[in-house]
Amino acid sequence: MNSLPLTEPVLLVLLSLAEQSRHGYSILKDVEQMSEGRVKLSTGTLYGALRRLLDEAWIERVEEDESPRDRRPYRLTSRGRRNLQLEVQRLKHLTKLAALRIARKEA
Amino acid sequence: MTCLYRFLLYLYPPSHRREYAEEMIAVFRDAQADVGLGSCRERISFRTRETLGLLAGAVQEHLRIFSGRSPMISFTRYDMRPEFRFPKSTVFLMSVIFCGVMIAMKEASAVQAKYGSASDSMWRTFPGFAGLTFSFALVAVAIVWAILFALGRTGVHRLANIQPGLKQE
Repeated sequence: MNSLPLTEPVLLVLLSLAEQSRHGYSILKDVEQMSEGRVKLSTGTLYGALRRLLDEAWIERVEEDESPRDRRPYRLTSRGRRNLQLEVQRLKHLTKLAALRIARKEA
Repeated sequence: MTCLYRFLLYLYPPSHRREYAEEMIAVFRDAQADVGLGSCRERISFRTRETLGLLAGAVQEHLRIFSGRSPMISFTRYDMRPEFRFPKSTVFLMSVIFCGVMIAMKEASAVQAKYGSASDSMWRTFPGFAGLTFSFALVAVAIVWAILFALGRTGVHRLANIQPGLKQE
């Protein structure tokens, strides 16, 4: 997790947390919805990704007294948000480049 | 399916289980309830995905701990004796076992060359012999695991941490 590019599941998990804090099941459903059903994460994959993101301090647990232990929400840290922005910029550049190349070939 | 899920979670390192098992089970239950309303194909796909996801996740977690790339290792029960995870003597023992296997193969070749056709009948009984050996090995591993598990439960390994000079207040 030291460098970009990110894998698709990790990118989608980060995007899911970009808007608001979410717990595991909410992330799972949001990822499926964002990818229009194409990416369905298993709980093993999800918690592997969450553990790595926590280790790298890209996300953190939201400590709420009322939230039960099996539904702890996660949110992006400033570091995670910065890295997500970098990844989005990289993808934008790649998309722009691809569009240019394809247009040149067609012309 | 939840029972199988709980069972498969035991493949994960204890530190991961302590930290995430409850959450994973809760998320799995919610996801299973969702899929329960779907078609048979969706249910099979869900179960396959979950099983493979858990197996792959467990392997990755063990590899992560084995390679020692993460500070999360310090949450494991055997931190008090880090050498327990992979003692240096293991390398020596593995070398000895490897040499033993090589010698056994060489001896087997010599026996085959000496007795020729008589060895054909021996090969007929080999699958049974191999199965029996494998079963014994499984039983032995299960017994050792049960002993270690029972010791872990009793907390005997923590006795080494007691400092005799300290008085309790």
